[in-house]
Amino acid sequence: MHELSLAMSLVEGVEAECAARGGLRVRAVYLEMGELSGVHEDALRFAYEMACQGTELEGSRLAATHTGGSGLQITALEVDP
Amino acid sequence: MTGTEPRLVEVRRNLLKDNDLRARALRQRFRTAGVRVVSVVSSPGAGKTTLLAALLQNLTQQLRVAALVGDLATDNDARRLAASGAPTRQITTGTVCHLEARMIEQALEGWELAELDLLLIENVGNLVCPSAYDLGEDVRLVLAAVTEGEDKPLKYPTIFNTADLAVITKCDLAEAAGCDLDLLRHNIEAVRPGMPVRLVSARSGLGMAELQHAVAA
Repeated sequence: MHELSLAMSLVEGVEAECAARGGLRVRAVYLEMGELSGVHEDALRFAYEMACQGTELEGSRLAATHTGGSGLQITALEVDP
Repeated sequence: MTGTEPRLVEVRRNLLKDNDLRARALRQRFRTAGVRVVSVVSSPGAGKTTLLAALLQNLTQQLRVAALVGDLATDNDARRLAASGAPTRQITTGTVCHLEARMIEQALEGWELAELDLLLIENVGNLVCPSAYDLGEDVRLVLAAVTEGEDKPLKYPTIFNTADLAVITKCDLAEAAGCDLDLLRHNIEAVRPGMPVRLVSARSGLGMAELQHAVAA
């Protein structure tokens, strides 16, 4: 239910990681979703698209894998060469 | 490297942890300043604001109390709570369905915490999302009104598991609402064995002195 705010922190997090690396053009964001995180994947995807609008991440893809635990973690970014 | 294939950059960034870290820092700030923080969660309409308004009325006589209140829109609740004379700030979350530690940080700006004994935080009316967000509080109350049905704890176990004290509100209406208080208590016990439960009515005053004591202690 709070996927929109999670998606917004996701976008902020990716932007921060990109800035820390001197600016990257992101094609996909790899995410690990804990089974106990209470996060609903479809809702997060929907919210992610909205949160990306008007940002550098617009048009990027969200690649999610499911794990145990309660975390929600960005594990990698697929970026332009 | 051909220069055309996308490359992978490894990153380790925990998104939910951000709130936990902020909440931990807040808790430390509250402790250092000597302010006790009590938050309230419930579904919309369970009586959070009425309960807090009644508590504030008496607590302001003995303690330096302030209140933060979250809603998607309007400052109606802040105005209701401010009637007690306690400093009050409204947090309007827009579309966000819960309070986050970051919003508490922002709302506290300009307040001298050391000049407070007690801070009360009213969360957005929602039994789902607030359970995932620590606000740095010492005690979290979860309210269940007698008008909501006895099975609320069974339907929303997570929020009962992140709270410290369950408060059954509107007890003056229990009979009219056909609420079986024993069954409601039993259901709370079923999802959270050993959880302390208090029965109150802000309107009739039932149980309010004891609750006030628990909030201030």
